[in-house]
Amino acid sequence: MSEGSNSVLIPGRTGRADGRAGLLVRECQGLALASLVARRGRVREAAEAARAAFGVALPLVARAAGNERVTFVWAGPGQWLVETSDARGDIEAFLAPALGSLAAICDQSDSRVVIELAGTAVRDVLAKGVPIDLHPRAFGVGDVALTAAHHVGLHLRQVSEEPRYRISVVRSYFGSFRHWLESSAAEFGCEVLAPLGAG
Amino acid sequence: MRIPCPHCGLRGHEEFAYLGDATLRRPDPAAPDAERAFAEYAYRRDNPAGRHRELWYHAQGCGTWLVVERDTLTHEIGRVTEAREQGGS
Ligand SMILES: [Zn+2]
Repeated sequence: MSEGSNSVLIPGRTGRADGRAGLLVRECQGLALASLVARRGRVREAAEAARAAFGVALPLVARAAGNERVTFVWAGPGQWLVETSDARGDIEAFLAPALGSLAAICDQSDSRVVIELAGTAVRDVLAKGVPIDLHPRAFGVGDVALTAAHHVGLHLRQVSEEPRYRISVVRSYFGSFRHWLESSAAEFGCEVLAPLGAG
Repeated sequence: MRIPCPHCGLRGHEEFAYLGDATLRRPDPAAPDAERAFAEYAYRRDNPAGRHRELWYHAQGCGTWLVVERDTLTHEIGRVTEAREQGGS
């Protein structure tokens, strides 16, 4: 994982300039990420091993489960994206003692851009391209979706009731996704805030 | 056309990649008629009007290969199962 800031979003306002911005965007920096893929037939064992080591079982459906140390985000059957701020430098070493014999672990820290979206218009903005029903009766805190917007693959989850969503995008596609996001938010105003977890 | 992925729920077909006939089985390369059997396997396709079993890959979703029953006349989707459950080649 590279050191220092590699900011992909410059704080400031785009789109409608008056009133409060309808979309608030923050980049989440300083996160370590890893893919975790259970070996054949070892999914339940891996889930239990994660519970024993981290106090969080791996979610077996499209959900995220975490605590202050680590979050396991479902990424397909038997697969997860692991997020932590606790393992800077070596997330593989962070996970391997508990899960190394049960799953393939691969550092993804630099491969994704992770952003958080909030604001009064966040659902209206996402509805322009994300083909997932984000109405609270259909999608709530902890729910996860793998999908695409503007032909860019998204790993999406809701992190709080406001609502606030966290999206990870493969880094090389992020410019394209940001273009879609800013265009979709223009009518509501889009405010990029200072990054989370920087420095 | 929307496909109910057993892991992700109902999703638009644009999230999926289409492979084709799910009933084909790779021939035995050691069989005496392997050349004819492979030509058949690689190139010859029925073009059924009606129910068809097809392989679809949830490329922009959970990454699962699915066997989807689809009516080629109406695009009605029937049973959807994981390809890995049916085994074979
Ligand atoms: Zn799926």
